[in-house]
Amino acid sequence: MITIVDNDTARHNVLRMVQKEGCAVEVEEKEDGIYLRITRGETPQEEPAPETAKPAAGPLVLVVPSEFMGRGEHEELGQILVRGFFHTLGEVEPLPDTIIFFNSGVKLVAEGSPVVEDLKGLAERGVEILACGTCLGYYELKDKVAVGEVSNMYTIAETLLRAGKVVSL
Amino acid sequence: MEEGYAVILVYSTAHALKAEKALQRAGISCKLIPVPRHISSDCGVCVRIRRADQEEALEVLESAGVGIEGVHKV
Repeated sequence: MITIVDNDTARHNVLRMVQKEGCAVEVEEKEDGIYLRITRGETPQEEPAPETAKPAAGPLVLVVPSEFMGRGEHEELGQILVRGFFHTLGEVEPLPDTIIFFNSGVKLVAEGSPVVEDLKGLAERGVEILACGTCLGYYELKDKVAVGEVSNMYTIAETLLRAGKVVSL
Repeated sequence: MEEGYAVILVYSTAHALKAEKALQRAGISCKLIPVPRHISSDCGVCVRIRRADQEEALEVLESAGVGIEGVHKV
């Protein structure tokens, strides 16, 4: 079959359509138009059925990059939300395998943090809690860690890369 | 002494914060938590206290001018 079009957009549209249908196309530009010589290809294979939602293999990792949950003009609200979140985490499933705190998120594992008790509860149930050492150092909180382990970028990077799923707060 | 917790529902997040501060000042242990799902589907916060402290807590909140929407045992 030959289709003659008179502009590039039409050429691309036809090409896309017939190639999707598995046809071969030869293009020839002539004075009176663009000739698309289309030959029927083999019957296009049926697309494989989409994979059903399966839980990803590998650990579930929660990352906490801030002492607040979300962004907005009022930090007070962000703190209410983060407190609510860690309380609720103790009541819902699935539990994350690991929680990684970095940037100002590390303040949440330090003495005086409003979520230390919730985090201790999670740690007792087997949740691994890692806090970025650089960040703790930056905030001068290294000797005030109340829950979890002081970690480094190697462990953090490996944990993220080996995760089945990463959820960021 | 009655065991377990009670949650005090208030009318706004601002009131919940005010309630928390008033209770802390009065030396009553409390925790700001999301309203439990079985009480309301609203995304609100409430104040959890020990049931044993309930009477005293409600007095503190009343004198602090915090309106109480309800109290539930949890």
